Amino acid sequence: MGRLALAVGVVAAIVYPIPLQLQGTTYYQTVGFLVLINAMLGLGWNVIGGWAGQFDFGPQVFFGVGASTAWLGLPAAVAVAVVVCALLTYPLTRLRGHYFAIATVAIWMIAQPIGATWEFIGGSQGLFIPVKARASVAASALSLQFSGPTKALGYYYSALALFALTLALMALVERSKLGYYFRAIRDDQEAAEGIGIDSRLYKVLARSITAAVFAAAGVLYAFWALSVFPEQVLELNWSTLPIMATVVGGIGRLWGPVLGAVILIPIAQIMSTTLGTGPLAGRGIDLIVYGLIIVLIAAFRPTGLLSLPWGRWFRRRRPATPAPAP
Amino acid sequence: MTELVQAIVNGLQMGFLYALVAVGLTIIWGLMEMINFAHGEFLMLGMFGAWGLSAGLGLDPLLAIVPLGLAMYGFGVLVYRCLMRRVQGGDPFTQIFATIGLLFLLQNAVVAGFTSDYRFVGDSLLARLSGAKLRLLGITFGVPLLAAAGLALLLFLALYLLIERTEFGLALQATSEDRDAARLVGIRPQRMFAIAWGLGAALVAIAGAILVNFFAVYPQVGLQFTVLAYAIVALGGFGSILGTLLAALVVGVIQSVTVVYLPPAFKDAFVFASYLLIGLFRPHGLFGRF
Repeated sequence: MGRLALAVGVVAAIVYPIPLQLQGTTYYQTVGFLVLINAMLGLGWNVIGGWAGQFDFGPQVFFGVGASTAWLGLPAAVAVAVVVCALLTYPLTRLRGHYFAIATVAIWMIAQPIGATWEFIGGSQGLFIPVKARASVAASALSLQFSGPTKALGYYYSALALFALTLALMALVERSKLGYYFRAIRDDQEAAEGIGIDSRLYKVLARSITAAVFAAAGVLYAFWALSVFPEQVLELNWSTLPIMATVVGGIGRLWGPVLGAVILIPIAQIMSTTLGTGPLAGRGIDLIVYGLIIVLIAAFRPTGLLSLPWGRWFRRRRPATPAPAP
Repeated sequence: MTELVQAIVNGLQMGFLYALVAVGLTIIWGLMEMINFAHGEFLMLGMFGAWGLSAGLGLDPLLAIVPLGLAMYGFGVLVYRCLMRRVQGGDPFTQIFATIGLLFLLQNAVVAGFTSDYRFVGDSLLARLSGAKLRLLGITFGVPLLAAAGLALLLFLALYLLIERTEFGLALQATSEDRDAARLVGIRPQRMFAIAWGLGAALVAIAGAILVNFFAVYPQVGLQFTVLAYAIVALGGFGSILGTLLAALVVGVIQSVTVVYLPPAFKDAFVFASYLLIGLFRPHGLFGRF
């Protein structure tokens, strides 16, 4: 059952943009791009929020760091974000619970005016990324630059590749010792320390993984948008949407953020096409729907949609086998 | 020198207003240990209510305090009974997400009804006084801000007496400390939580009715005040009402002194930098009882 769903999902994700490309509509490819980016961000947040159990409301800082350093290239930008995150987070790990959550918000609040006034990263004018024509598809893919009629298609597949890479790494982390350490700290920090897990170190590691994913997504976004405005890349939405997607799908579950992003992100687009230019267009109806979904999930199924007994509902009922004779 | 003193005085006056926004949160978050991310939306509802009563019925925002406080008390109780009671027993993160959902719901319901336009209360008692200034030793006190600060102080005092000096306040504290023990001595925890939510919502609505004299009203107005309110409650130490007041004053002064020397964009950044700095040395806030 699980394998079948996985195969269908993989084929759908690969084939999805092709009929759209033949038809010549790039709009829904961009929707797909946003779903993938948010799913990827959700996967990243799941490490600190879902596994390590620390409420991080400021990971968008590292999205901003990635986008602002995108001109260094993907690996270097990710490295910068990880170093910045580790340096900032280590002192914060003295704080626990609510205090830690507020401290992450505090760092975001401090990052905003710095982003807006620091001219080196574009400050008020923003950074612009020059478009260079690439000779071949491979060169475009390596430099993450696509233009012309295949721009949306190219970015869709780049996002898909990065998303798949993130998912594979997260699957590794989930089953590694690291993943078990994270969950041990979440479930009982004192007990985890009692068996010799350095909780502060592993919290920093968890948040650095989150930061790496956010920075990678930030780089991709910067190349896609071709311009980086600090107030845009530091927007609260870069954390709230992925966090909500994680919760809707199932917090602490590998596939939770993916399912959540596939459900939540297209809502805004569907709403804006169905409402069109009617009287309720642009009045935040999509966000009302988000709010309702989150409230209902929190009230009735806080462990997320993936925790519902899908297997029981979809598995064909087998005839009861008679008990073996003694 | 006068500039600095003036900045401190202005900061203190703003601090009282911040204290008013934060104190509703102290009760729900600090005292009862429930998280409410929709606190800013309660504030926004209070501001919208005050604006509506002023624009529709010509009621002065200061008089609107009474109906708004009562209505929002009912709303707070309703939110607890319908939603928060359900998520209370579970993981703390369910409370976070239930109230974040509520935040989106309330904020955008108001956007859908009234658009995101900025609105101002035109004619109010405090607005009419806006020209009036008191000068003392070269320091200027704006009369409207001074009046609002006085009002905030009065409300604060009443709340402090209610929580610290009455039997009801003791019952609230007992509930937050040990629910089962409270039940044994005849306190009904569910009722206490409902009252705490009602009180928190009513207080922040009253804060909204006062703030509406100084700030524009729009559906997203809550966020800027709530992030400060969260820092204030944590800085003051959870559940300490006096701590909240002092922390709010500190925050107001940090903001206004920062603006004297640095671009205004940095005023909140400095508040949060101080929070981080203090948090590192006193992880439980300035006045936390630990």
